Amino acid sequence: MYGPKIEAQLKAKKIVIGDRIRVQSQGGEFEGLLMPRPLSGDLEILVLKLDSGYNVGLSVSDVSLIDHQSKKSSSPGASDLSSDSDDPSGAVSILGCGGTIASKIEYKTGAVYPSISASELRASFPQLANFNVRSKQVFSLFSEDFGTYHWKLIAKEVEDQIKKGAQGVVIMHGTDTMTYTACALSFMLQKLPVPVVLVGSQRSSDRPSSENEMNLVNAVYAATKDFGEVSVCMHATTNDTYCHIHRGTRVRKMHTSRRDAFKTINGKPLFLSDYGNSRFESLSPALPKSSKSDFSFSDKINENVAIVYAHPGLKPSFISKLSDYDGVVFVGLGLGHVATNPFNDPNVISVFDEVKALNQSGVATVMAPQTISGRICMRVYTTGRLLIDAGMIGDGADWTPEAAYAKLCFVLGQTKDPKKVKELMMKNIAGELTSCSVFDSDE
Amino acid sequence: MKIGIEIHQRLNTSKLFCNCSSDISEDEKPICMIHRRLHPVLSELGEVDEASKSEHLKRRDFEYQVFKNNCLVELDEEPPHPMNDDALNLVLSISAQLNATLVSEIHTMRKTVIDGSNTSGFQRTAVISLNGHVETSKGNVGITSIALEEESAGIISNSENQATYRLDRLGIPLIEISTAPDIKDGDHLREVAEKIGLMLRSTGKVARGLGTIRQDINVSTEGGTRVEIKGAQDLKMLGELAKGEANRQTELVKIIFEIRSKKVLPIDSLSVDLTSIFKSTSASLIKKGLDSGSSILGLLLPKHKGLLGREIQSGKRYGTEMSDYAKLAGVKGIIHSDEQLEKYGITSGEIESVKSALSVGSDDAFVMVVANETAAKAALKNVLVRANMDYVPGETRRANPDGTTTFMRPIPGKARMYPETDIPCVPITSELLSSVSVGESIDAKRSRLEKLLNKDLAATMLKSRNLHVFEKLVELGVEPMLAANTLENTVVALRRDGFEFTDLEKTMVELFSEYKKGSFVKAAVPEVLKYMTKGARVDAVLKIYRLHKITGKDLEKLVSDNGCNLSVIMQKHRLQVDPAEVSQLVGKLKCENPAYR
Repeated sequence: MYGPKIEAQLKAKKIVIGDRIRVQSQGGEFEGLLMPRPLSGDLEILVLKLDSGYNVGLSVSDVSLIDHQSKKSSSPGASDLSSDSDDPSGAVSILGCGGTIASKIEYKTGAVYPSISASELRASFPQLANFNVRSKQVFSLFSEDFGTYHWKLIAKEVEDQIKKGAQGVVIMHGTDTMTYTACALSFMLQKLPVPVVLVGSQRSSDRPSSENEMNLVNAVYAATKDFGEVSVCMHATTNDTYCHIHRGTRVRKMHTSRRDAFKTINGKPLFLSDYGNSRFESLSPALPKSSKSDFSFSDKINENVAIVYAHPGLKPSFISKLSDYDGVVFVGLGLGHVATNPFNDPNVISVFDEVKALNQSGVATVMAPQTISGRICMRVYTTGRLLIDAGMIGDGADWTPEAAYAKLCFVLGQTKDPKKVKELMMKNIAGELTSCSVFDSDE
Repeated sequence: MKIGIEIHQRLNTSKLFCNCSSDISEDEKPICMIHRRLHPVLSELGEVDEASKSEHLKRRDFEYQVFKNNCLVELDEEPPHPMNDDALNLVLSISAQLNATLVSEIHTMRKTVIDGSNTSGFQRTAVISLNGHVETSKGNVGITSIALEEESAGIISNSENQATYRLDRLGIPLIEISTAPDIKDGDHLREVAEKIGLMLRSTGKVARGLGTIRQDINVSTEGGTRVEIKGAQDLKMLGELAKGEANRQTELVKIIFEIRSKKVLPIDSLSVDLTSIFKSTSASLIKKGLDSGSSILGLLLPKHKGLLGREIQSGKRYGTEMSDYAKLAGVKGIIHSDEQLEKYGITSGEIESVKSALSVGSDDAFVMVVANETAAKAALKNVLVRANMDYVPGETRRANPDGTTTFMRPIPGKARMYPETDIPCVPITSELLSSVSVGESIDAKRSRLEKLLNKDLAATMLKSRNLHVFEKLVELGVEPMLAANTLENTVVALRRDGFEFTDLEKTMVELFSEYKKGSFVKAAVPEVLKYMTKGARVDAVLKIYRLHKITGKDLEKLVSDNGCNLSVIMQKHRLQVDPAEVSQLVGKLKCENPAYR
């Protein structure tokens, strides 16, 4: 962690992190606690915590030990949780997968790191005491590090909890890819007999202003309610007042940092959840719970799928290189377009031939909207019609790019027959496709 | 008695961790409100800060007024931007003036503050330099540290379970200068505060006006402890506050010795429900509580008779200290046996019943709380905690206008600080230092001004908020006395008469640039300036009000028309002629034309 010069001094004097030390520096002599070195910056600058609590970086000429650190355990109330996850029957199962909601500062790197176990979290939030909850750490990662492998782990664990009789399942998840996971789980876990609620937080749990407690408590609250689909519970507004429960296939992270980043696209959220005031209101129809015997689970997922963002100047050679994939989602322009040059203008670079070639070689191509809101309508302009002819799937779909991607992974996990792929893609499975775009005067 | 001072001064740059303007006005109306809650978190040392815990017990809701100069950073909806370079450079330069050593690397910390005054629940703060000193008439006073931090949100209203703040000032950079406890007495305290304040103002880059500078003082006495007093607005009050606090600590130490001699600590009394005694009471405070479902709980304090009523500050007793701790649990206060209980309307019969229920002996005291049972129990637990303190507790106290102080919260400890991971640490490189202009020291500045002006005007100018305008005018070649007089006398007189300047610096530069061209005379400066307050350009003013300097042939004509009478000419045309020029011309004409002799 520290550079060789400081490390040598520390080692020679048997000084470890947290010890009280005295240092000589240009500005004089200072006393304080030795802090870990963030990996960034000059490794030969020593970080000292002064008695005022401030950390300062000092270039030091000499370090001496005053006192060894007190051996105080700092883990909060872990003792009463040893019986965790024995029997989830009748309880809400909280699954930990990392993320900001369950993170604390990693002082070695100075970064926020997901490392609080679900059990610790349950101990940290007194309001959870009002619920019958069990918790289990599935894994702990930043959600940007997730792949289809992690979808499968989570889906399998949810299935397990449901089979063991859980009343509902809450999944603590990083917010970056939460909507991808929500979409994937919506396809992998069908006809759910209990609510499955993903939850995260935009402010890390090491901040007094973190909205994690409110989100988590409302997620658990929602998991005790009467509906049967995969959903996401996050802040509805910038205020710490209530949450929205979004349909897993319709929700999207629409802001990099705000608490209310998560929005339902092309529709209204399923519920308003306000545990503090015992309020749980329906905002749009949710699927009822299915019977346990109807519940189906599939972890067949094809991970060989790519997303391509259409843009002016998209190169044909780039599209050709996608032939190694089994499926490609185009996040297209406008109603669902990429450059096809229908007027044969000599100055236009078209990717039409390459898209057609992909389809002919058996790569499924699917269109989703760059505008996020609205429906793919490829029948309107020649470009769209050409793409349909080339084999592009998606005309009439009002899915989000994430839903289209997760669905293609799922569908290609079930079949590779192009005809069946198209048929399955265009059939609504979990609310990702609707037949009617309702006019919302609020928007 | 040991005294130290912390000076917080707002800097006149944009905000510390975003690009929003620091220009705020009390008249501005909020554009919307947001609603938040906060909760305590563990520090990097794995501890929860005492001050945070005590705030959290109140479980309050926070409302924030959002203003035009707020962005998502102040709303705690976006990570902070990198530290403002202008603010950092200014603090580097002030550090040099206070002889402080810069740290090698700046680590921004989060100082937990969960009273709602910061949307994030912490104040971002960073030590920039250490170990400086300021010279005073009573020797050097050490500067322990100089920090750069964010201003908090301004409080609008505050109640038991809710507080409202305005966010416009949140994030304005503050320099925090903390001295060592080297200050000798009240006069010395004032001298140090004034000297540092003057030095800050003389940079010309700090904010001016009400609330832009705040002084907290730290006081400890023999046998006492460090107590921080916040919110002293007036420098004149600092000495009195320090004396009052030293006195409070001395009185507390006396009480502690007395309690020790009685060998009564630790007290482990349990609270007792006294509600039934007051079922049909006529004591209005208690009756009102009972009607709204409150309970009355009591606590025995053995051998405390007479102690609770002991005055430790003017008008405040040892019982007040208990009451302050009880209030942390959300109750309104306590009733104790050293008070005249009859004034509450409590009958002697009721008192006797209470004494018997609590087994109060002749040397004992008791405390009662009227509140809902949970709050009342928590309050009495806090009273017990305070009663068992065999020492003067470290506290943050609020300065009252009468020179006394009121308990705010336990003094925050190390656990209150943890690293702000959203902001990478900033190395202080030679490149950074080379871009910093180390300002002139205040003493050097004073002696330079004394060479330009007389001693009185130099002293006025040194303290003036227009010092930077003066410097600029002198740079333009304006005579220093004229510049200083215009800024400190003419402008002040015009303001008194209701003439305001929207941009004084711009007006002054325009006025004197024209003056340097010889377009008007010195005597006309106040008159020209007066008309410029309305936003008129200087050339327009000269034209409309006929204030152009008369010179050449026109002046010759004027002189001869007035019979070469200097005093008549000056009387009639004072604002348009240069007396030296007139007098020269008069001399010349008289010489040439004997008729004028």
